[in-house]
Amino acid sequence: MAKKYLFITPLAVYILDEHGEPIAFYKLYRDSMSREEHVRLLYDMEQGRLSEKILEFIASNIKKEDELVVEDNDLGRFISNNLKDARVESATRGDAILKARENLTSIIEKTVGVKPQEYYSLVHELMLQLTRLKVKEVAEKRDLFVAQAINALDDVNKTINLFASRVREWYSLHFPELDELVEEHEDYFKVVSNIGFRSKMTKERLKELGIKDDVAEKIVKAAQSSMGADLTEFDLEAIRLISDTGLRLYSIRRSLEKYIDEAMYEVAPNIRGLVGSLLGARLIALAGGLDKLAKLPASTIQVLGAEKALFRALRYGAKPPKHGVIFQHPLIHRSPKWQRGKIARALAAKLAIAARIDAFSGEYRADELREDLEKRVEEIKTLYAKPPVKPERAVKAKKGGKKFRGEKR
Amino acid sequence: MIRALRVREHEAFPQVYVVEFEDGSERLATVNMAPGIKVYGEQLVNIGGKEYRIWNPYRSKLAGAILKGLKTNPIKPGIKVLYLGVASGTTPSHVSDILGPSGILYGVEFAPRVMREFIEKVAAYRTNVVPLLADARFPSKYAHIVEAVDVIYADIAQPFQSKYVADNADMFLKKGGWIMMAIKAMSIDVTKAPSETYKREMNELEQRGYKVREALHLEPYDEAHAFVVAQKT
Ligand SMILES: C[S@@+](CC[C@H](N)C(=O)[O-])C[C@H]1O[C@@H](n2cnc3c(N)ncnc32)[C@H](O)[C@@H]1O
Repeated sequence: MAKKYLFITPLAVYILDEHGEPIAFYKLYRDSMSREEHVRLLYDMEQGRLSEKILEFIASNIKKEDELVVEDNDLGRFISNNLKDARVESATRGDAILKARENLTSIIEKTVGVKPQEYYSLVHELMLQLTRLKVKEVAEKRDLFVAQAINALDDVNKTINLFASRVREWYSLHFPELDELVEEHEDYFKVVSNIGFRSKMTKERLKELGIKDDVAEKIVKAAQSSMGADLTEFDLEAIRLISDTGLRLYSIRRSLEKYIDEAMYEVAPNIRGLVGSLLGARLIALAGGLDKLAKLPASTIQVLGAEKALFRALRYGAKPPKHGVIFQHPLIHRSPKWQRGKIARALAAKLAIAARIDAFSGEYRADELREDLEKRVEEIKTLYAKPPVKPERAVKAKKGGKKFRGEKR
Repeated sequence: MIRALRVREHEAFPQVYVVEFEDGSERLATVNMAPGIKVYGEQLVNIGGKEYRIWNPYRSKLAGAILKGLKTNPIKPGIKVLYLGVASGTTPSHVSDILGPSGILYGVEFAPRVMREFIEKVAAYRTNVVPLLADARFPSKYAHIVEAVDVIYADIAQPFQSKYVADNADMFLKKGGWIMMAIKAMSIDVTKAPSETYKREMNELEQRGYKVREALHLEPYDEAHAFVVAQKT
């Protein structure tokens, strides 16, 4: 009876004797093998699976009475399940394997014929690819989480607006002048929740809440001469319930944005790098997942989120929309109207590429994509610097319905 | 920005440099293996045709340890390192600079998000870096990739970190090889005084057959962190 050791390396599998000398080997790596196949093979091993051929190789090199030491538990179990007669033991503290591991590159050179320098660059490439694959796999399952989170963010925003209008209207009974002086909803909530009575408004307290000097001054002045009704503690408590919730919603909003940003780094780093996490997440949500987004043609990505306008166009022969949610990108909405359609097309084309890289390879190439896009936008800006001269047109009939920002033409 | 004037190699550590600035201040640095590329917003300076990356001791415990007078630094050009907990690559990138093209760094990290960052900022540009998305508590999961190494550098902030580090060292560390370990007192056990945690972790290493050669506190660069160097005898 002899102890033998299974020693696996990225390029070959070995059976070692007790002194760590290879007594047999099986080449994993062949010149004919593609990088993808090789990566897949290593991936399977990590999952505790070995191919038929490797099993055969092991079987033909151990005798019935031999004991085979395998470092990884899962692989050990896999081998004993598949080779009925093998006596497998799991152990991670064998001098034999450590010794072989110390001579790894020379063993590889002798058996597989790959020189150390070449070996290292192979392993570097293989692991870069394998790790990208694994990171992508973890992320893949998370795209729908991101889609939900962006929808939740929209809900939160709507609720903030709803509560803000309510608190403004309600608190205005006591201090109507404040409504115009404080534009930011969050600041308004802060004043109501933290100070409450207009008689308690002082410059110091307002500044503590982050209100600007001059605004604070105006508020204090207005408070002194306000025409609003008096407020009891009892009434204020009720208003505060909603105002406090408003503040809480702002903090939820920030957490959600942070979550989306971090998750997008994992799920779709190229889309994130190109258009930012929020817009990117919104596109994924609208498409119904990263994979689906990656399969859409650029022309569809261009109008995602403008479905209403698109159907209207199809039905009534109106002009089709030039952009959907990608309108939110500053490159588009900060540009003059007549350039927007062209910029939208260029952006959608880059987005389609980014989505495909994110869904299928996981490399990071957003910086190049963004540079290309910026170049193209520069071109558009110089080529179409002036608005086109409009041909005379018949007055078009206005169809009802509110226009959405994202659907403007 | 203040200009860099001169550079000299560190007295004790090859490929670690000290850059002198106009205002008389001195900073640690390494020669950038991936010219033009920053990993964590560090300053790049050009002196004598070489690009140096300023090494921030407040961001990197190894730099902190060097400034605190670390005596043994087994990380030298051409050696092999197994790095546990590479995160997005702040310290690993400097280690990669020191190792140079003939060395190799096997970098283990289990959080996919930071691993992605590590790949795109560090591993993609550096041929001496091999990324491994894996849990350092289960070394047999990457045993088919990693060869025997001269140094295991561990910064994984885990309770019972020493046990896992010793498990890795048993499998991968050459005889006479070194363990370098940052011990974060707080994340191991908040209820105990920091020094007690350090002691326990060092005891564990000793019991597993690794001789502690050096231990230092990282203040002011890092609060409640100790840095331990041990050797496989
Ligand atoms: C303090 S950070 C490392 C910083 C890095 N050493 C540097 O100096 O740039 C700790 C990292 O270890 C990782 N980590 C913690 N436990 C781990 C484990 N069991 N396996 C792999 N990585 C782990 C964490 O995800 C985190 O990214």
